[in-house]
Amino acid sequence: MAAQGSSGVKNIAKIVAKRVVSAFITLFLVSAVIFTISGLLPGDAAQELLGQSATQEQVEALREEMGLNRPALVRYGDWLTAIVKGDPGYSYVANMPVSQIISTRLPNTLLLAALATLVSVPLALLIGITAAIRRGTTVDRSLNILTLSLVAMPEFLIATLFVLAFSVKLLWLPSIALVSPEATWSETMRSIALPVLSLAVVVVAQMARMTRAAVADQLDRPYVEMARLKGVPFPRIVLQHVMPNAVGPVINAMALSLSYLMGGAIIVETIFNYPGLASLMVNAVTSRDMALLQSCAMIFCAAYLAMMLVADIVAILANPRLRA
Amino acid sequence: MISRIASGVRTMPLSGQIGFGLVVFWLLAAVFGPVVAPYSVGAFVDDEVFAGLSASFPLGTDYLGRDVLSRVLWGARYTVFIALAAAMLAVFIGTSFALLASLRGGWTDELISRAMDTLISIPSKIFALVLVAAFGSSLGLLLVITAITYVPGNFRIARALAMNLVALDFVQVARARGEGPVHLATREILPNMIHPLLADMGLRFVFIVLLLSGLSFLGLGVQPPHADLGSLVRENLTGLTEGALAIIVPAIAIATLTVGANLLIDALQKGGRS
Amino acid sequence: MTGSIITRRALIGAGIAGGAGLAAWSLTRDGGAPSSSRNGSGGNIRVAAPSASTADTLDPAKGGLSTDYVRHFMLYNGLTTIDDGSLAPHPSLAESWESTDRVTWHFRLRKGVRFHDGSELTSADVVFSLRRHAVPALGSKMATIAEQFASVRADGRHGVTIELTGANADLPTILAQSHFLIVKDGADKPDGNGTGPFRLQQFSPGVRTLVVKNGEYWYPGRPALNSIELISIPDEVSRVNALLSGDVQLVMALNPRSTRRIENAPGHDLMITPSSLYTDLIMRQDTMPTGNPHFVQAIKHLVDRPLVNRSLFRNTATIANDHPIPPFHPFYNAEIPQNTLDLDKARWHLQQSGLSGVRLPVYASQAAEGSVDMASIMQEFGSRVGLNLAVNRVPADGYWSTHWMRHPLSFGNTNPRPTADLVFSLFYQSSADWNESGWKDERFDRLLVEARGEPDDLRRKDLYGEMQRIVHDKCGVMIPVFISLIDAFDKRLKGMRPVPLGGFMGYRFSEYVRWED
Repeated sequence: MAAQGSSGVKNIAKIVAKRVVSAFITLFLVSAVIFTISGLLPGDAAQELLGQSATQEQVEALREEMGLNRPALVRYGDWLTAIVKGDPGYSYVANMPVSQIISTRLPNTLLLAALATLVSVPLALLIGITAAIRRGTTVDRSLNILTLSLVAMPEFLIATLFVLAFSVKLLWLPSIALVSPEATWSETMRSIALPVLSLAVVVVAQMARMTRAAVADQLDRPYVEMARLKGVPFPRIVLQHVMPNAVGPVINAMALSLSYLMGGAIIVETIFNYPGLASLMVNAVTSRDMALLQSCAMIFCAAYLAMMLVADIVAILANPRLRA
Repeated sequence: MISRIASGVRTMPLSGQIGFGLVVFWLLAAVFGPVVAPYSVGAFVDDEVFAGLSASFPLGTDYLGRDVLSRVLWGARYTVFIALAAAMLAVFIGTSFALLASLRGGWTDELISRAMDTLISIPSKIFALVLVAAFGSSLGLLLVITAITYVPGNFRIARALAMNLVALDFVQVARARGEGPVHLATREILPNMIHPLLADMGLRFVFIVLLLSGLSFLGLGVQPPHADLGSLVRENLTGLTEGALAIIVPAIAIATLTVGANLLIDALQKGGRS
Repeated sequence: MTGSIITRRALIGAGIAGGAGLAAWSLTRDGGAPSSSRNGSGGNIRVAAPSASTADTLDPAKGGLSTDYVRHFMLYNGLTTIDDGSLAPHPSLAESWESTDRVTWHFRLRKGVRFHDGSELTSADVVFSLRRHAVPALGSKMATIAEQFASVRADGRHGVTIELTGANADLPTILAQSHFLIVKDGADKPDGNGTGPFRLQQFSPGVRTLVVKNGEYWYPGRPALNSIELISIPDEVSRVNALLSGDVQLVMALNPRSTRRIENAPGHDLMITPSSLYTDLIMRQDTMPTGNPHFVQAIKHLVDRPLVNRSLFRNTATIANDHPIPPFHPFYNAEIPQNTLDLDKARWHLQQSGLSGVRLPVYASQAAEGSVDMASIMQEFGSRVGLNLAVNRVPADGYWSTHWMRHPLSFGNTNPRPTADLVFSLFYQSSADWNESGWKDERFDRLLVEARGEPDDLRRKDLYGEMQRIVHDKCGVMIPVFISLIDAFDKRLKGMRPVPLGGFMGYRFSEYVRWED
């Protein structure tokens, strides 16, 4: 048996290796699900592109050009072999490589998600832990009411209220995200402020409440009482005993909430006209752009898996029992 | 039964009692609201749109000149019933799989976890858009979509909780005693994770209410002229700047319903622990 | 322009101008003012249209959404243009045109016009641009219209002759549409190199288009603006908010419910353009029960048109009479009795059809503007006469390919067309692909061909008048109102005027408007 310290590292290395393998299984499953349900959609890319006015002859010609005449399974197989080599395919709807379309949208989505994370995670931890420690006090109750009322508002209403207040009324911030390559850093920050704020509000409440629940759950355990009787200072109990045990569920809840920041941003992207991946994926659905749709799904899935991996590693590092 | 509930409510903190009151109010509204609604849900009763309070329209009129009170009462029925059913379904399925995965471990765990990852990593609203485009919109599909959306989330949390518990001594002891998986799941593990799970279900309920409103933003939901509470907010959004009751009332309805559900569950957690 | 046809066109132009002048009212202070700003200092504005997609294109032939049309009119020119309420075609790249038999047409091109790349416009470019519509693989949106072109050939360096398969007096009007804008000879995939008022600076499908002033534009003094950034904001509330917060200066396709917000904003103006846009309830005639004539009559008397106009469109719409010609059209037949809400009549017809109490699904979608609310209204009044309509709201995604015309009851939506002949032949001729209700009336079909070739205007009005009556009486479509196009803009933007073919002055605003601080 290896020494205690290196067994943790080894375990993590093993888990990462295992996760990479299972990530491929999951990615494959996602692509299979997308392939299956998109097969149920009425119409194809040629029809959608030509619209109402299409003649049968035109549809046939375009199908030929787009390669839609081959069986769906064959096209899926081609896409699959290509993506394994790292080529996400060609969008016949936009007439450009999928990688090129995504390269313009992915940075936007990552920026939005990263900023929303930066704002929401510290805030959620602060609110959640404070509320748990001060259980039953006015502080707890007011934080509870705050997070509850934030959770209780439809996302689109929150976003619209922000726009009405900060853009239309006060004229402080742009009402739409005008992300352009030539914009300066401060312009980008200004135009992304409201989307970030809206997204942060949506996720912060959920994360704070889960943090509070998990921490409070641990605080009720006998070991806390025991440590207190032994005279261990309370902050130390929280940091050294409670948090390591609570961190599993907390980080899980956080990872889940944060994965929402990418694909779930569809409403915020719509309201602020933000050119991100979620609206691109919706666009791919409506235009039946299969290569693009699959690629978007792959990115969302990979992001989610990465988040979960980080969550699990942190949970293992924090909880000695799982380390063994 | 009733006396037990009554005594339970009496011993709750004030916030729990408020939550209980709100939840009961909305449950009653969902069950009896449509019966007492003054007008039919689709009736065009007023020439004025976004009208304010009046004797004939206690909560004003909406963007088409329909009675807001009647529409909110109907909307509450859809929202409460769909969200309740979907939340219970999601937690039941998610937790069942979580218990199975944590007890069996190995390949079972791996398989279930990968399937859950697959489900959760497809953005739910986009998933819903595709399914509705493929199958058409119906109440059943709405229920299935909202439940499926929250199965993996509940699974993750339930599995994390259960995994922690499985690693604990008393479960190991019971296992060594030769107890079967059903006993382990229902007697040893479930009782020790029921509170976080209840909290989770409360949150799922809230999430589903909000997901429903999110879906209504994308144009999916109950068939018109009916509308769930989220759709009522959405369809009257243009009245926001004039402070129309038609948007404020359903928004308040959603808020009180979700806050009430949360307060109640918080109180139940505390009560259960003492 | 010479020949008998010219006087006739001029006469029609005057007629339409008179009619439209009354109806096409504008709330702008200088809505009708000439836009001949000479200072050319201009401004840089951002405008928002409602639709965008990764399918956004620089190819005029493929344009399918409002953003495409706007983009194409910034970059390219057509042979003709329609730029005012008269709906009459005016010279653009073609200086003049003539035809004696309305079958063979000669167009004389303007000389010295240059593409953005510096090359000169010649007949070869025009021939190439018009011929390419016949190639199926191109996917032209006007492929069916272009089937009328029997041949297109060059007539010297600056002349083009178009031979039609049959007489059509409306060819110059047809050629004014964005799909027939002129691209460079040999440009199989047009990249924005046109003769238009603006040059392409940046194009990102589904996100934005940035154009800058074409300093060598052939029309002296135009354009007045320095640059235009065209974006799309699909969500209507967001679009209005973007205007009111100053992020964009011009938006189109406003919901009538938003007009109050614009009216209350001191720095902004509205332009409401009555048009022949309509959303109609389609009753398929080739299937029961909707094919029953009594059922059709019941539905036509079951809609409260003033209610639709008031609650859905804030009284900005124009009441329609179950045929596609609006009251402000010169060929409008004012003698047809107006269909109104008449529950007794509806109930009687319904009983005659034997359909009382039958449950009928009606398909509506956001894709057809206002159809979901219209369906709700029909459902409500239907319940009062024993007709059980079940509203089936379906997603906009796939609506046109899977639901439109595919059910006994569904909603359609028809954009404004420049001529009566186009709307009748595209949507009402029995052999048309989009014969929405699947009806067939031999007399109507005969009148359609006769009217298309009829040289006498009064006679033509009679023919179109009778066709309106036939559609009103027999066709399985219910048209409640004509929907107005609503634009809103910053007051400093001058020169906007209504063109009933679409928002943004029929998508052509870029060339005509100016900015005054």
